[in-house]
Amino acid sequence: MSGLGREIGVQRILIVEDSATMRSLLASTLEGLGAAIEICEAESGFEALRCLPRDAFDLIVTDINMPDINGLELVSFVKTSAAYRSIPLIIISTEGSERDQAKGLELGADAYLVKPFDPDQLNRIAGELLEKRRGEG
Amino acid sequence: MAARRSRVRSRRSKAYREFVSEAEEVLERMRADLSDLADQNDAGAEVDPESVNSLFRSAHSLKGMAGMFGLDGLSELSHHLEDVLDGMRLGRVALDSPAASLIDEAVNVFVAELGSLDDPKTPVEGSEAVAELIGRIDSAVREPAAPTDALTGLDLDPALLRALTEYEEHRLRENMRRGRNIHLVEATFEILAFDEGLAELSVAVREAGEVLSTLPSPGAAGESQIRFGLLAASELDTDALRTRLDFPDATVRGVWAPAAAGSSPAPAVEASSDRAVAAPEAPPAADPREIESLKSISDTVRVDIRKLDELMNLVGELVIQRGAVNSIARRLQAEPATARIGRELEKIHKLLDRKIQGLQAGVLEVRMVPLRQVFEKLSRVARRLRRDTDKEVRLELRGADTELDKLIVEELVDPLMHVVRNSFDHALEPADERSALGKPEVGSIRIEAFQRGNHVVIEVADDGRGIDLERLQERGVERGLVDAGDTLSRREVLDLIFAPGLSTRDEVTETSGRGVGMDVVKNNLTALGGVVDVDSQEGRGTTITLTLPITLAIIQALVVGVGGQRYAVPLNSVLETMLVDTQEIQRSDGREILNLRGEPLLLRHLSQEFGLPEIEGAKPHVVVIGLGDARLGLVVERLEGQQDTVIKPVQGPVQNVRGIAGATELGDLGAVLVLDVAALIEDAGRRREAA
Repeated sequence: MSGLGREIGVQRILIVEDSATMRSLLASTLEGLGAAIEICEAESGFEALRCLPRDAFDLIVTDINMPDINGLELVSFVKTSAAYRSIPLIIISTEGSERDQAKGLELGADAYLVKPFDPDQLNRIAGELLEKRRGEG
Repeated sequence: MAARRSRVRSRRSKAYREFVSEAEEVLERMRADLSDLADQNDAGAEVDPESVNSLFRSAHSLKGMAGMFGLDGLSELSHHLEDVLDGMRLGRVALDSPAASLIDEAVNVFVAELGSLDDPKTPVEGSEAVAELIGRIDSAVREPAAPTDALTGLDLDPALLRALTEYEEHRLRENMRRGRNIHLVEATFEILAFDEGLAELSVAVREAGEVLSTLPSPGAAGESQIRFGLLAASELDTDALRTRLDFPDATVRGVWAPAAAGSSPAPAVEASSDRAVAAPEAPPAADPREIESLKSISDTVRVDIRKLDELMNLVGELVIQRGAVNSIARRLQAEPATARIGRELEKIHKLLDRKIQGLQAGVLEVRMVPLRQVFEKLSRVARRLRRDTDKEVRLELRGADTELDKLIVEELVDPLMHVVRNSFDHALEPADERSALGKPEVGSIRIEAFQRGNHVVIEVADDGRGIDLERLQERGVERGLVDAGDTLSRREVLDLIFAPGLSTRDEVTETSGRGVGMDVVKNNLTALGGVVDVDSQEGRGTTITLTLPITLAIIQALVVGVGGQRYAVPLNSVLETMLVDTQEIQRSDGREILNLRGEPLLLRHLSQEFGLPEIEGAKPHVVVIGLGDARLGLVVERLEGQQDTVIKPVQGPVQNVRGIAGATELGDLGAVLVLDVAALIEDAGRRREAA
């Protein structure tokens, strides 16, 4: 699948998070991965579903607790879809929802992080997943 | 902890400001949810699980955000709050438990703490109030972790069960425990346009029960389609649900049914009676909200009210220019040489007029908000008062959909709050006193809002002890507001409650305090161009009536003339105008009275108000102005017509002249002063007393 008008070497990250504050913190952290990163933000699971067919993504970072469809349902959708299955996925959720995080991994998420997240740790994991994806691409 | 320190961001950063504004929004939403919950509890209805879940999500967001800014105190507080709410939504903590009652308080403490963090010296660990509250929540929550069995007997794809969060799983179990049928409703949509169809389907399912989970999956036609599976609980069986939904493209499949359901008539009867009890759980009113919440993702913009003010000013100026175009058209038509071109200009003016009216109505409409948010604040105050004192009160709110200009609504909160506190504190008697008087033990405060012409009226009526007129007059004498020998009318005595620093109760209470009285309410209302009236029956209760203009932005004015000067009278306070014969005017004690259909109407000459020469012998016009219950006849020389105007504040010496509310421009007539109707009526009343 080829991205629409994508520059060579640019990788796209989709952030799914209902809190505007968390969204911009995640975005500013992930922008630290370098110039070859493009960030898209979705403020709900539904919006993420609308974003997916529009652009080619190389990484999805999602919250679990959201008002319309939750992060687990989004993971389930991505990982059962032939078109999106290969996109790596990181779950970021607050402490206390370990059970839901375990479910996320079971559904096919690649990693999970606990909020408040450590920016360095997020970028290390995201960087590794993107690197691996570039190798596959 | 190096990692932890790196998370701490400056409290001056843009990200931090974003956090504060989002946190405020979240806290406001929590208050609304708490208020909903309390109402459901009061009504004895089965609580809508979504209210609790929404509260949980809010606490959860707050925890995440506070944590990112290293605000350990607030993070810890929201963590505890989240625990309590998690327990509540999972059915481990009772809704009426001591822990649940701390949520209100936690929201307030959070708000206060957020405010004090503006001071960079405030420690991130949080104040003592936060620590103390956390301790109390801790000791109130002793929830045993409920053991859960594996979900069995469900005819479902395990992938769907895996995608359920702990909460959704709990709702599933809860509905099974209550013996409701579990269904899977599936439908496929185009991926780029699934919102509307899915929203419609969700609403329909919600009308018949509860949507437990919405699972998206790839559609059969590949990338361009998306399939949604709605796991739903309902009293209805599969066939009945299918008929009820009436959704040709959706499939409905039963995945679990309570044992024996449908096999004998008995459970069916039980199910239907159960449904009657459970009905409030999914009121139809909740459904439009669902559609709204989907829409708000993409269709709503938030606008700074100042931008609307600027727009309104521009519209106002257009309105004035329009007036100028009209008068040129008339002048042209008056001359035979230019009559034809004048008529054409007149036509253009009419078209322009229609468009400007549409524009004006549109901008005004955007500024209008329902009183609902003010009412919600009032219910919260009432609940807090109920909790902090031992008095029981029933707050009845009507007309929450009545709309007012956003700015007026903002300014209305304080005075209205004060009136309600006054009723609660001073008017309503303690329960024992009430039952001794043969009144219902629970006192009642009824607030009703409705529109009357260009005004909105808000009545606050209590069934308390009423105002002791004798005592009120005595207080007036003590304060030197009236003389000991004066005979005052009932209305004049009642109006004393609006005099500064006057209260008929001697005690100071925490809720209304001393020194802030009805005079403040009155000043606030006057500043908004409104009035406040009081009526009271001793022993029966008091009614306070607030009358406000719908908007402050554009008003229609009646232009009147006196001795070569022009003034504008806001048309919304003009009741009627008439031409009178000077002989019809009766004079007594230096006052002029007109018999208006049997009622005496006090007259004031506008020329006298502003020290202008009066032209004798002319047949004067009387403009009857009224606000609330008060009436006054303004005697003027000429009526010059109606015009839309934008009131602007005046500067300089005129600023402090009583009776002048501002200035406005009337196109080619130039600038004129706008009369302050409330002040004129009030002064006339005062002079009548003095006479």
